[in-house]
Amino acid sequence: MITIEGLTFQYKNSNRNAVEDVHLSIRGGDFLGIIGESGAGKTTLIRAINGIIPHHLPGDYYGSVQIDGEDTFDVTPSAISLKVGTVFQDIDSQMIASVVEDEILFGLENYSIPRDEIEARLSGALDAVGISQLRYRNISHLSGGQKQKVAIAAIIALRPKILLLDEPTSELDPQSSLAIFRLLKELNEKHGLTIIVVEQKIMLLSEFVKELAVMKGGRLLLHGSVRNVLKNTEQIGKSGINCPRVATLSNRLTELGVKLDGVCVTLDEACSMARRLMYD
Amino acid sequence: MKGFLDYALGDTFFHHLNPLIKLLISLLISIAAFISGSHLFIAALIALNLVMAARAGIFQRGVMLLAGLLKFSAFIFILQLLLVRRGNPLLHLPLNLVITDAGLSSAFLIVLRLIAGTMPLAIMLSITQMSDLSNVLVLKCKVPYKYAFALTTAIRFIPIFAGEMAGIIEAQTSRGVEMDTKNLFKKVGLILPLCVPLLITSVKKIEDSAISAEIRGFHLRTGQSCYKRYMVTAGDMAVLAFSAMLIALACIF
Ligand SMILES: Nc1ncnc2c1ncn2[C@@H]1O[C@H](COP(=O)(O)OP(=O)(O)OP(=O)(O)O)[C@@H](O)[C@H]1O
Ligand SMILES: [Mg+2]
Repeated sequence: MITIEGLTFQYKNSNRNAVEDVHLSIRGGDFLGIIGESGAGKTTLIRAINGIIPHHLPGDYYGSVQIDGEDTFDVTPSAISLKVGTVFQDIDSQMIASVVEDEILFGLENYSIPRDEIEARLSGALDAVGISQLRYRNISHLSGGQKQKVAIAAIIALRPKILLLDEPTSELDPQSSLAIFRLLKELNEKHGLTIIVVEQKIMLLSEFVKELAVMKGGRLLLHGSVRNVLKNTEQIGKSGINCPRVATLSNRLTELGVKLDGVCVTLDEACSMARRLMYD
Repeated sequence: MKGFLDYALGDTFFHHLNPLIKLLISLLISIAAFISGSHLFIAALIALNLVMAARAGIFQRGVMLLAGLLKFSAFIFILQLLLVRRGNPLLHLPLNLVITDAGLSSAFLIVLRLIAGTMPLAIMLSITQMSDLSNVLVLKCKVPYKYAFALTTAIRFIPIFAGEMAGIIEAQTSRGVEMDTKNLFKKVGLILPLCVPLLITSVKKIEDSAISAEIRGFHLRTGQSCYKRYMVTAGDMAVLAFSAMLIALACIF
């Protein structure tokens, strides 16, 4: 359970709030997608949840972030990391080893995971993101997408209760992006992980997550279930994001007085809607 | 020197040596190079370095390293040549400069020592994973993990910065800046201003890396957290004995 209350943060040597008066509460088991144009404050919000703000990045901090009732202001990021795993946007600088295997081992060793459990976790995490064959490879010789998978595996291996991912598919091809989101969905549904993912690809996001949050200029513009958020084509457009075409289509039809049962999120839904409209 | 200090993956005898032994033998070979006064012996040490590089599967890198060091020592060679005034004059130059046989000999010696003293560490670090190095420093030398991590991170960042610099130079070249000029002063003039952006991105990279370590429990680590075990094998003892023998030989020659 994450409770964010009136969070406002301004980086030192910046003259505007990177996030402003954000109220957000995320229950255990939620799968939340955050979207917003560049500079909207998505990364800043992620940093505030895992404690990097205010512990590592100086600035003006107001409001509070609580994880299971514990204020992140009062505990160190390492302590928070026992519950919250983060995959950062900048992939290169979050690698701390030269070989894939060691990258995954790093966190496991830090948490003093028992020896007999380490191998299972290590190979399990590599397998889950589909990079078992990269285990002994040199990280600096991997492609951007492969590194992204390594970063995800390194966090998954730690089995955090809450998973934060900042644009985890930015360097991935469509197929791999889909695979990552399928994995996230599985982690969320089967293992009950709470997942917060920042993503630019709104189609992909709305197909998988349960809730959406739209940010603009540091503020939380919209928040709610995917269907409820996607009803607001215009507001989403104002935030600098293109609402998925299928949602826009069904919203327009509703405006025109066509009776539909809610907004379409996926292409499949749009197809069955079209079929119904034609034959009924 | 592309790829300098970048970890070279491999499965050779030298790769499997205990990281601490690798450090130790490179130190011993360097010491041997500095003890010995014989040009021939030190040249043999350099050859030995190349053989080690070849056995570790990084011969090409070894040669590149040698070439780089040669270029670098040219300046020191000339300086030494002109500064030593004792011995028999071989050549009189303007400005009252003189080249003597002793100067020539000591200039050669310095360059050889410099090369033979630097190569072993560079070669051994190239075939050592930094995480292994920090692990043994913690386990065997009882260095606090924080310091071991800082040390190995610094080493790990060298090739990353080199790559970054190469990227910046490439970008400048593609914008028509003549970075490949042979004129040393011109080149320094062109590269120096680029160091500022490099410094800024570097500081940010190191900061991000530290944050990344922190959110994966860096501060929770204890001295016994390490999963891999590092043993000292017969092979380790053998190369160690061999290096000790080099020191003994260096004392004789
Ligand atoms: N370390 C920093 N120091 C100062 N200002 C920063 C820092 N990081 C971000 N900002 C500023 O804070 C604002 C929000 O940035 P943030 O990185 O949170 O946006 P974002 O939504 O993640 O954007 P993107 O989609 O480009 O990643 C921006 O105006 C940015 O310039
Ligand atoms: Mg961002």
